[in-house]
Amino acid sequence: MPKVKVDGIEVEVPVGATVMQACEAAGKEIPRFCYHERLTIAGNCRMCLVEVKPGPPKPQASCALPASDGQEITTMSPAVKKAREGVMEFLLINHPLDCPICDQGGECDLQDQAVAYGRGHSRFAENKRAVTEKYMGPVVKTIMTRCIQCTRCVRFAEEVAGVEEIGAIYRGENMQITSYLEGAVTSELSGNVVDLCPVGALVSKPYSFEARPWELSKVPGIDVSDGVGTNIRIDSRLREVMRVVPRISEEVNEEWAHDKTRHMVDGLTRNRLDRPWVRKGGKLQAATWEEAFDAIAKVAKKAGDSVAAVAGDLVDVETMYAAKKLLASLGSNLIEGRQTGLAYDATNIAAVNFNTTIAGIETADAILLVGTNPRWEASLVNTRIRKAVKKGAKVFAIGPEVDLTYPVEWLGNDMSLLAKLPKAAADAMTKAERPAMIVGGSALKVPGGQAASLALVDSLNLIRGDWNGYNVLHTVAARTAGLMLGYALAGGMAALAEKAPKLLFLLGADEADLSPFDKSFKVYVGHHGDKGAHGADVILPGAAYTEKHGIYVNLEGRVQYSERAIFPPGDAREDWSIFRALSAVLGKPLPFDSFGELRTALFAEYPAFAEAGLVRFDWAPPALKAEAIAQGTEVAYPIKDFYLTNPIARSSPTLRRCSAEILHGEDFAEAAE
Amino acid sequence: MLKKIFTWWEGATIGTALHSWRNGSKVGSDSLGNIYYEGKKDGRRWVIYAGENDASAVPPEWHSWLHKQIDGLPDDVLPPVRAFEKPGTRNLTGTDAAYRPSGALEKGGQRQAATGDYEAWTPN
Amino acid sequence: MADILPNSLPDIEELRARWGGFAWSSENEAQAKIIVGRYPLGRQHSALLPLLDLAQRQVGAETNTQGWLPVPVIEYVAKYLDMPYIRAYEVATFYTMYNLQPVGRHHVQVCGTTPCMLRGSDDVLAACYAKGLKKGQTTPDGLFTLTEVECLGACANAPMVQINDDNYEDLTFESMTAILEAMAKGEMPKAGPQIDRQTSCPEGGPTSLKEMATENHDYRGEWK
Repeated sequence: MPKVKVDGIEVEVPVGATVMQACEAAGKEIPRFCYHERLTIAGNCRMCLVEVKPGPPKPQASCALPASDGQEITTMSPAVKKAREGVMEFLLINHPLDCPICDQGGECDLQDQAVAYGRGHSRFAENKRAVTEKYMGPVVKTIMTRCIQCTRCVRFAEEVAGVEEIGAIYRGENMQITSYLEGAVTSELSGNVVDLCPVGALVSKPYSFEARPWELSKVPGIDVSDGVGTNIRIDSRLREVMRVVPRISEEVNEEWAHDKTRHMVDGLTRNRLDRPWVRKGGKLQAATWEEAFDAIAKVAKKAGDSVAAVAGDLVDVETMYAAKKLLASLGSNLIEGRQTGLAYDATNIAAVNFNTTIAGIETADAILLVGTNPRWEASLVNTRIRKAVKKGAKVFAIGPEVDLTYPVEWLGNDMSLLAKLPKAAADAMTKAERPAMIVGGSALKVPGGQAASLALVDSLNLIRGDWNGYNVLHTVAARTAGLMLGYALAGGMAALAEKAPKLLFLLGADEADLSPFDKSFKVYVGHHGDKGAHGADVILPGAAYTEKHGIYVNLEGRVQYSERAIFPPGDAREDWSIFRALSAVLGKPLPFDSFGELRTALFAEYPAFAEAGLVRFDWAPPALKAEAIAQGTEVAYPIKDFYLTNPIARSSPTLRRCSAEILHGEDFAEAAE
Repeated sequence: MLKKIFTWWEGATIGTALHSWRNGSKVGSDSLGNIYYEGKKDGRRWVIYAGENDASAVPPEWHSWLHKQIDGLPDDVLPPVRAFEKPGTRNLTGTDAAYRPSGALEKGGQRQAATGDYEAWTPN
Repeated sequence: MADILPNSLPDIEELRARWGGFAWSSENEAQAKIIVGRYPLGRQHSALLPLLDLAQRQVGAETNTQGWLPVPVIEYVAKYLDMPYIRAYEVATFYTMYNLQPVGRHHVQVCGTTPCMLRGSDDVLAACYAKGLKKGQTTPDGLFTLTEVECLGACANAPMVQINDDNYEDLTFESMTAILEAMAKGEMPKAGPQIDRQTSCPEGGPTSLKEMATENHDYRGEWK
């Protein structure tokens, strides 16, 4: 462990650390533009220069120089100050005077470092160069004149996103960053370059010219567009969510968030349910809360205990708990969350959990993907697998071939391979130190699929000591929490249909096939007018994920807390309060009157939700009857269109355009600005 | 008649009318019907309005005379009225004919999009 | 860089229609294999530079010009080396010898830096202009493309031009005109100094090491 002295302070740093990391360990701030902790070192901006004693008589780029024993590093000498001022001056020479019209103003690294480390005035009197704007897709707006050629975006696209589509062409003063032939960047992680860019060269297109960072109230939240539970910061101004940016979370999403997370928010102001609707004479008509509740009470009286609830993809724990309690008070336990019809055995949650954890999968050295497309189903798990591959892991996959951004050995789209894995794959898994298997929803749909995948746990020896390599990848934010609360019937939606409930509550369930429930009286409690609302008999407007405090459990069993950023529009209310009010009308009031009381009751019954963090599920897989899978049984991945998987995304014009342009190849004429 | 006794906001009160008859000589009137007096002894200048007593009812040329900015009568002293000059009007603030910019809500316009606007769902 | 302005720029669809089917000719295929073989396994990307040059020459042979690199051809080379297209495109735009726009049958590159300028590169350029050449453009008959380039390292023979792969040195207005006229007629004038001079030896013959002018003379026995 090398010991170095930074400004007289002695620090010990791990082997392989750079001088910059030593300075940060000593508490000294080093300015930088091109260095980023999660990308490879470029060393081209020269802003991190410091003086290092045993070495050449010039300041060194601290981000690239390895720290070695006995170095004496000076970060505050006149020479270092002069170096920083010089670099700043040169960067500002060709940088346009765009601050008033630049979206990055107020949160711009260049502004901050110019104020802290710059000269304060310019000596440049010649003409500045300008660069044409490049087209990078519907989500990233480029003003390349502002680019300082740090190449963070190039390195991100190559290393983390895995699509090599951004590059730097020409050279010297004429160097320009562009996407290949100015085509749209096809990665689902393309929005992250907006966060990475230290200046306003790459900004978010839907958010451009909308707000300044000091106007925004920032609230920590959890994203619900997929099962990963990306930690986000919801930035809102008055009553509107302006944008969503990721928070740093080493265990879940590192620093990234995919495009759906970021750009779903402009769907929050469209297609909103803001008042109750009641179907009278076959047509939905606007109603008051009393009228809606009366309509439901009339049906509930006749239904008795023939009541059911289907939880949607975006609901939080409190909503599901309140609904479950309401149904229990009516004598029913017909609750189901897997609205697309999956019916796997969910009696042991560890057997349907992502047991390696999201951070853990990047330490695996052999991975078997079964019927899952992690790039679309959980993009930030895919980045972790990519990191594992870069460290040398081998990936085998059963299912239709897709581009996962890393080399995969495709074993074929044949689920019978689960029973007889090719020797090469089986050997790699058994010989590996930390083998992992990821089972997707499409594999669990196949009869016998779950049993066959569980059988591999023993035959491939996936559980070794602390390491449990059996993973099930859920695509939906509400799944694990729903399973913990019991939102799973043996037999799934088909079993629910057989019970033919007279009263059916849909908690934001828009992906379910409701044709078997024609005779049921459907009450839709949700926030967007999608399929579920169109077919309902009563619509009760609820709150979206940015409009309520909520607990969410991600696919690895991590309990996370989300906070409210804005209030729901119009007459909409928080979902738990809807159930509490309805329970009063039905004559069996629920035992909590406030959100705090709800949480107290919830934690008493389910202590796992009381603390944020990973829940330990005991591994006790169900003994399933082995069912032979016919040879040639094919699967198809559940997500047909990455950008339109939930009702908020379907209402978002940005994501609709992403889908049309990137997935369906439609051409959009760019408006001349 | 009752109006003349009890109100003071239209035209002249009884006392003012008396004063104008005794001490004032009528020097002229304008396009709106206001009558202008000049004191016989002290040279004061005043106006009796036709209609509501509102200082903005005095057109510009008589305004100059009233404030002693010109010596003689407007017709005599001021240059001739040009073709493009509009006749004087009262201040229209607060009336229905008040000026409203385009897009004003009073004129039936739509307000600008504001933060927090949302599109509500309807079943059609 | 975009120094050479084409007389008209084809757009990507036309380029793909014309060059989408580009593939190595049989000799070039063999040559490409040799080039790739020079690099260790796993480092084939290093062969990009020579292969782009080879592709440019093949395009030149097919179009009877000095060749250029249309985007489909760059993509072909990238695919041949199993590289992402953008990486090959970055390299192709970095180096000036890779023409990104079409050039004529003779690429006349006039050196205009200090030594050549002092010795009269302006006259050389005037000779080119007199023949209707314009900087950055190809003549309408497709014969000549004129560019002004940086120092070509033949300063002892200034002023000079590089036409295609050869240097024509020690030029004057007249000798430049003669070269252009000969090329227009289809002849290839002798490369090298255009006056009676051997490479960069002094005019009138060397004043020392005289035997070296004709043979690789071994002076070792003659040292004093």
